[in-house]
Amino acid sequence: MATESEELESLVNRRYEHGFVTDIEMDTLPPGLNEDVIRAISARKNEPEFMLEWRLKAYRMWLQMREPEWAHVHYPPIDFDAISYFAAPKSDADRPKSLDEVDPKLLETYDKLGIPLHERARLAGVAVDAVFDSVSVATTFKEKLSEAGVIFCSFSEAVENHPELVRKYLGSVVPQRDNYYAALNSAVFSDGSFVYVPKGVRCPMELSTYFRINSANTGQFERTLIIADEGSYVSYLEGCTAPMRDENQLHAAVVELVALKDAEIKYSTVQNWYPGDEEGKGGIYNFVTKRGDCRGANSKISWTQVETGSAITWKYPSCILRGDNSVGEFYSVAVANNFQQADTGTKMIHIGKNTSSTIVSKGISAGKAQNAYRGLVKVMPQADGARNHTQCDSLLIGKECGAHTFPYMEIKNQGAKVEHEATTSKISADQLFYCRQRGLSEEDAVNMIVNGFCKEVFNELPMEFAVEAQALLNVSLEGAVG
Amino acid sequence: MLDIKNLSASVGGAEILHDLSLSVGTGEVHAIMGPNGSGKSTLAQVIAGRDDYEVTGGSVTLDGEDLLDLDPEERAREGVFLGFQYPVEIPGVNNAYLLKAAVNAQRAHRGLDEIDAFEFLKLAKEKMALLGMDQKFLNRGVNEGFSGGEKKRNEILQMAMLEPRLAILDETDSGLDIDALKAVAHGVNALRSPERSIVLVTHYQRLLDYIQPDHVHVLSGGKIVRSGDKTLATELEERGYDWLKEAANG
Amino acid sequence: MSNSDKLRSAAEQLGPDGLSDLRSRAAENFGTTGFPTTRMEDWKYTDLSIASDISVAALDDFRVDLPPSYEIPDIEAHWLIISNGSPQVGGLSAIDGVDIALLSEADVDLQFDLPLADLNLALLSDGLKLTVNAGVNVDKPVGLLFFDDADTDSLVSQGRVIIDVQKGASVQVIEFHTTRGDARKYANVFVDLNIEDNARVDYARLQARDLSAVQTARLSVAAGRDATLRHFALDTGGKLVRNDLVIDIAKTGADVEFNGLYLADAGQHVDNHTRVDHRVGPAHSKQEYRGIIKGRAVWNGKAVVHEGADGTDAQQANHNLLMSERAEINAKPELEIYAEDVKCSHGTTVGQLDENAVFYLRTRCLDEEQARRLMTHAFAMGVAHRCPIDACTTWVDSHVEDALNALVAEDAK
Repeated sequence: MATESEELESLVNRRYEHGFVTDIEMDTLPPGLNEDVIRAISARKNEPEFMLEWRLKAYRMWLQMREPEWAHVHYPPIDFDAISYFAAPKSDADRPKSLDEVDPKLLETYDKLGIPLHERARLAGVAVDAVFDSVSVATTFKEKLSEAGVIFCSFSEAVENHPELVRKYLGSVVPQRDNYYAALNSAVFSDGSFVYVPKGVRCPMELSTYFRINSANTGQFERTLIIADEGSYVSYLEGCTAPMRDENQLHAAVVELVALKDAEIKYSTVQNWYPGDEEGKGGIYNFVTKRGDCRGANSKISWTQVETGSAITWKYPSCILRGDNSVGEFYSVAVANNFQQADTGTKMIHIGKNTSSTIVSKGISAGKAQNAYRGLVKVMPQADGARNHTQCDSLLIGKECGAHTFPYMEIKNQGAKVEHEATTSKISADQLFYCRQRGLSEEDAVNMIVNGFCKEVFNELPMEFAVEAQALLNVSLEGAVG
Repeated sequence: MLDIKNLSASVGGAEILHDLSLSVGTGEVHAIMGPNGSGKSTLAQVIAGRDDYEVTGGSVTLDGEDLLDLDPEERAREGVFLGFQYPVEIPGVNNAYLLKAAVNAQRAHRGLDEIDAFEFLKLAKEKMALLGMDQKFLNRGVNEGFSGGEKKRNEILQMAMLEPRLAILDETDSGLDIDALKAVAHGVNALRSPERSIVLVTHYQRLLDYIQPDHVHVLSGGKIVRSGDKTLATELEERGYDWLKEAANG
Repeated sequence: MSNSDKLRSAAEQLGPDGLSDLRSRAAENFGTTGFPTTRMEDWKYTDLSIASDISVAALDDFRVDLPPSYEIPDIEAHWLIISNGSPQVGGLSAIDGVDIALLSEADVDLQFDLPLADLNLALLSDGLKLTVNAGVNVDKPVGLLFFDDADTDSLVSQGRVIIDVQKGASVQVIEFHTTRGDARKYANVFVDLNIEDNARVDYARLQARDLSAVQTARLSVAAGRDATLRHFALDTGGKLVRNDLVIDIAKTGADVEFNGLYLADAGQHVDNHTRVDHRVGPAHSKQEYRGIIKGRAVWNGKAVVHEGADGTDAQQANHNLLMSERAEINAKPELEIYAEDVKCSHGTTVGQLDENAVFYLRTRCLDEEQARRLMTHAFAMGVAHRCPIDACTTWVDSHVEDALNALVAEDAK
């Protein structure tokens, strides 16, 4: 066992594959945050007046707010004045009209990350809106989407071309004052993705964005807004990797989903940002607000996430089940190894009648990591016939990690049926021995068992993501058994 | 005894039974067979008064009395017994307690005095002996942790205690091994009497090897598509249900 | 005079005796902290402002010499009486193998760690210390009767008992809370239970206060090597009730099981917080609480498995039946785990009676009300039957029956 452990240790210590830095000249605002910085951001993006006002309002709210402390995570205080709030590749000044015009160095970067833009897009039938730092660089498959009437573009483009939609829906799910990081994001968000699927349209392909964080000390503030109009369907995939840096980097994104009557949104995430090294140095702070509003009757929002990266994850993709018969789902795998800290879960707010929600959370802790599930199931007095089922399982690998469960159930309707089950266990010696006796290496056995543990969630991912997610999981846990 | 005329019933807006008619004479044993999803269990539940089903037309009478107006317990007290396909587990409610409460509710309905614990126990032991059941059953929670066979036997015990006029046994044979099947069939046969009608709802013919029916009906698509004597069951076993479905559709 | 001045002066009135210094220190502390507020995570769902109001009103006219008043419940036990917060020395009968002392005369180390503990000490007229001598098996249950009686003026009462069960001893303890009189009453009770190695305690906390009473109660347990605890808690009374059960397992082999039943009728608020700390393993803890709710209830169960506590087996369950449109439950089953070789689980459900089962019972001749009553009763007794003290069984059965009938009766319009 000891020798194997050593081998495994070397595997676990394998360097983060995606950790490299692209050397591109950056157009960066000086660090620090004040109203002038916000005006500068807005001006550089040629935003209409209403956007600037909206940002300033958020900024003034943020100034009144305090950083949240309730999460089960620990980190040194963040100096918000040391962060630069806008970084874009220089070539942004004259935007590329097509992929061919894109800075070859950028394309090379994506290549190193295994995202061959054209190929992947064509082969997988995926439209990729790649975000390099803060500005959308290239968008493919736009034509095919526009044929269907689907709008899929960068947030900046949406502000420019569809201001009425932005104005109507921006902040309608996550208001500016929602929480500290959402307020900050609202004030300074740089770019992100915008999707609008018109009435009755089934989006012809899965939409995907790859987020990247580059450039040291650059805060990353994405803003995503997806609107599924009545009777429409869209599946959106988000994936991330980030280059290695010593300083912790803050990422405070906001994602808003709106599902109108009979509409369905499926939002999948594979998050693999740099988690820091085995000493706990560096890594991304991922403080994200994701929320979906099932605004119309019979609407459905489904969140699926595989969280393997980031030094600290603070994230609760939520569903507001406002429409009658609306459905919310949350499927999550969260892996924390080394010194990672994850505090993640969901909120299901039942408001409409006969609403139902399902929560499946699988947490895996290894090394010295702390992994917490935090969830809220709230049934309002008027939400007759509400149903929730929550399954929350934790797997422990190693003696120094932690697995925590903090579920809140606030039930104010007599007719509600709410069930919560949770288990915590380690990989049993019997299971391991059984697999090894059948000829599997210890590592393969662990991978197999962990993948089995997560299967319910992987089943919810689109095909190509499922494969990637399993691979990621294996990399994240390599050598975690000793 | 039981008269069903032009019965239609639906659940959640979907009609399951269409214009179904069936007549069961006193002392007769009828088998209702049919493929999965044909409406067999719905029929059984509608007769027992499950309020998830909406009766949209027709009538159900027992010896001339309208059943559809009655609550489930009133039907039960009138002598309608439903043997459940999936007997419900009720943790914490003692089997003997339920039996005694049920017997006394029925006696009160008939204007009889309640039986006391001593009499009850005597009666229960007698019936259990008849069915070859262990007396430990009485002290356990209703169906709690029972095996499939134990649950079905418990249903027959309840039937024996309540002495219904009409017993509807819904898939009483499902999930039973051959020994349990024989034991249950033996119990049912012991309860056959000229005053009691029995309706067996089943998917397979095998139960009918042990309980010989007087009449066999085939239910498909929510109505009776064919009736006959017990040879119909054998024919179904050989030919399956498809030919009947086709006949019904054509 | 400010409220903290009133508290200080009340604390002074209670002395001078062996507790005087503690009282003034505690009054000082509480003067700075005050009551917990709903801004604190642990008190998120329970607002103590009513306890604060009653205390302030009671301190306006604080009396140290309330006459004793009590009524012994119909349970066979050695009863020790704490009336309106004062141990009744006259009522202290000798119990074979158990030493009984007043806290003011005993050498004890009282903890200051929580605002309510400060309040308790500041206004404590006196408390009891019981020592169950090593190896003794006490012949019948020891009953702690907390009896509050006030007809006109608001009453605030403090109770504090320390129970030390020495090695290999075995004892049954009944903590019984009840009241008399129409005035508003607030009782704040702390019990410390130290179960030494190989000792066993069966414990029943039975709370049947009147519907205007407010209670905060905390039982802190330290479990020794191979110690055994069987605990059952019943709450049927009180306008606002908050119970904390805190169990610390610092030695291996402990086996603790704690169960509870709470009935919250319209207008009642019942909050049960449990916490078990597994500091070493192997050890075993298991809990199940059930609630039948027309008013408001809170259940928060927390199991913390500390680093190195391998071999821990901790199970939690909480089931709630909501019985009215205004019913509300806030449930929070928490696990915090820092060890690897553990087996932990929790299950919480909120719902109604199983309609399938109701239908089944109706096909068996029971009418709907009978069926619901039977199932509600079965739900309650499923946990009430785990009361570990036989002497209480009859009382518990009939009390639960009455309370359920009262709860259900209002429905039978």
